[in-house]
Amino acid sequence: MIEFHEFLVAILRSGTPLIYAALAGVIVHRAGVWHLGLEGIMIIGACVTIIGIVLTNSFVVSILLAILICIVFSILQWFVIEKLKANQIIVGLGMTGIGIGGTAFAVESIFGSLAAISAPFGIPRIGDTFGPYSGLSVLVFIMPFAVFSLWVMLLRSRFGLRLAAAGEHPFAARSVGANPSMMRLIAFCVGGLFCALAGAELAAGSLQIFAQNMVAGRGFMGFAAVIFGGGHPVGSALAAMFFSIVSVVGIRMQIHMGNFLSHDLLLCLPYIATVLGIWITARAKGRTNSATQPSELREQ
Amino acid sequence: MTGKIDIIIRPLVFILLATILCGIVFEISGFSAILMFNSILEGAFFGSRSLEKSLRWALPLFITAVGVGISFRCGFFNIGAQGQFYIGTVCAVYVTEYMSGVQAVIVIPLGMIAGMAGGALWSLWPGYLKLRYGVDEVITTLMSNFIAGLILVYVTSGPLKDQSGSGQQASTKILPSELRISDANGVSPTIIAITITVGIFGWLLVNRTSFGTLSSLAGRNPTMLKYQGGKIWQLGLASFIICGMLAGLSGSIELFGPTGRVVSGFLPTHGFTAILVALVASYAVIGTAFSALFFGGLFSAALFLPIFTGLPTSAIDLFNAIIALLITARITLGKNFLGNLWNRNHD
Repeated sequence: MIEFHEFLVAILRSGTPLIYAALAGVIVHRAGVWHLGLEGIMIIGACVTIIGIVLTNSFVVSILLAILICIVFSILQWFVIEKLKANQIIVGLGMTGIGIGGTAFAVESIFGSLAAISAPFGIPRIGDTFGPYSGLSVLVFIMPFAVFSLWVMLLRSRFGLRLAAAGEHPFAARSVGANPSMMRLIAFCVGGLFCALAGAELAAGSLQIFAQNMVAGRGFMGFAAVIFGGGHPVGSALAAMFFSIVSVVGIRMQIHMGNFLSHDLLLCLPYIATVLGIWITARAKGRTNSATQPSELREQ
Repeated sequence: MTGKIDIIIRPLVFILLATILCGIVFEISGFSAILMFNSILEGAFFGSRSLEKSLRWALPLFITAVGVGISFRCGFFNIGAQGQFYIGTVCAVYVTEYMSGVQAVIVIPLGMIAGMAGGALWSLWPGYLKLRYGVDEVITTLMSNFIAGLILVYVTSGPLKDQSGSGQQASTKILPSELRISDANGVSPTIIAITITVGIFGWLLVNRTSFGTLSSLAGRNPTMLKYQGGKIWQLGLASFIICGMLAGLSGSIELFGPTGRVVSGFLPTHGFTAILVALVASYAVIGTAFSALFFGGLFSAALFLPIFTGLPTSAIDLFNAIIALLITARITLGKNFLGNLWNRNHD
C-alpha cells in the first residue's frame, strides 16, 4: 500500500506540470491555434519563479511575476501569429527557442554562470494532514479544480462556445458579434497563466531548482496531450496523466530492471508513448493527408 | 508580388528587426550591444581566417538545410533534422566500429551511406505515419528528436564508450587519422566537394525535375496537385526521405570530418538552425548557401563571444530564436505596414 502511495505521488508530481501545460494548449487549441510555444513559455515560467524566489524571497510575488511575464510572452506569440500572419508552427518553435535561449541568457547575466540555481524554498506544501501526500505542492491540489473550471469555461459557458466558434468557424463567431482575434488573445492570456503554473510546479514543486533546458520536451508532450485528448480539457488532462504514468513506470523499471535495459533507452518511453498516443488519435479521426492545422490562420 | 527582390529584401528586413530587438534586450541586461555586434561581425566575417571558421559551420548547415527546404517546400514540417543528424552519426560510427582495419576508401563512403540510410530511416517513420494515418508530423518529428538524442547518449555512454576518456563528456573513440576527411578546422576539399555536389543535386531536383515542381505545388495547394495528377503519397515520402538522408549525411561528415568522434549531445541546435537557414532562404537552394554562411558565421562568432564581450553564448540562441519568431510573417512591408496591422483581421 505504501508502494502504491509512492507511485501515485510520483505520478502526480511529474504529471501536474504536464497537465497545466496541456490545459494551456487546450484553450489555445480551441481558439484555433496550435500552441507549440508551450515549451518556451513554460521554461520562462519556471525560470522566473525560481529567480523570483531567490531575489525577492517571497513565493507570492515570484509566482505573480511568473504569471505576468508568461502572459506578456503569450501576447507576443499571439501578436506575431495573428497580426503579422506568421506561420504558427515556426512561431511556436521560435518561442521555444526564445524561452530556452532567453532563460539561459537571463541566468548567465544575473548569476554569472550557467550552473543550476536552487531556491531556499518552493511552492507551499499541502500539509501534514494528507499523510503520504503531504509533500505535494499546493498547485497539485489546485490542478483538478483548474481542469474542472476550464471544462466549465470551455464547454458550459457562452464564452467557451464563442471561443470554439472563433477556432472552428470564425465567420460564425463574427456573426454573433465575437471578434475571433480578441478571442484568441484571451485564449493566449489564459494559456500564459497555465504555462506559468506549469513552469512553477516543475521548478519549484518538488525540486526547488532551475537548470538550463529543464523542461526537456514536457511542453511538447503537453501539446501532444492536447491532440491525444482531442482538444477536450478532461481528455487532455487524462492524456497528460497517461504520459506521466508511462514516465514514472520507466523510472521504476530502471530501479528494478536497470541491469537488463539501458537507463537512457527507458527514458525514451514517454516520447514513444506520445507518438503512440497521437497515432491512436489520428486513426480514430480517420486519414487525412493534407495539413491538419486548424483555423483560418493556416493559409492566406 | 515583386518576386525575387521581395525574397531577398524580406529576410534581410526581419534579420535587421531581430538585431534591433536583440540589441535592446542586451542593452537592458547591461551589455554593450554595439560592441557585441561588432565582435560578431569581426568573429564571423571580417576577422583574419574568420571566414574559414564560419565555413566550417556553414557547410554541414547547408547540407541539412537543403533537405529541410525540400521537405518544407512540399508542405511537410519535418522538424526532425536534429534527430536524423544524430542517427546518421550513430550509424556511421557503427560502420567504423565493425570495419576497423578495412581500408579508408571503403569505410568512409560506406559510413556516409550508412549515415544517409540511418537518417532516411529516422525520417521515414514520421513520414509514413503522416501519409498513411495522418499523424501530425510536427509532433512525431519533435518526439523523434528527443528519442534520437537519448539513443545518442546511450551509444556514447554504453556500447561504444571511449573507456580512456575523462568522465566529463561521454564520447566514442577518436577515429584514426586515415579515416578523417578533414582536420579539426572542418574545411577540406573533400567536404567542400560533397557540399557542392549536394547543392547541385538539390538545385537540379528543385528547379529542373517534375518532383521539384510538383512538390512545391503540393506545399502551396494540395487540391491543385490532385488535379495535376501528382501523388502526395510519393512526393511526401520522397521529401521526408531526402530530408533525412541529407541530415544523416551531414551527421556522418561531422564524424569523419571536424569532430572525429561522436560526443554525447553534440551540436544541440544544429537542426533548429538548419530550419532557420531554409526559412530565411525561402527554400531556394542558392539562397540557402548564403543564409547557411550567415548562420554559420553567427555560430562561429558565438564561440568567441564570451571571451571578447562577456556575453554568454546563449545570446546567439536568443538572436536565432527571434529571427525564427519573425521570419514567416506575411505582413506586407511598406508604407501601409501599420495600417495593415490593424485592418487585416476584418477582411
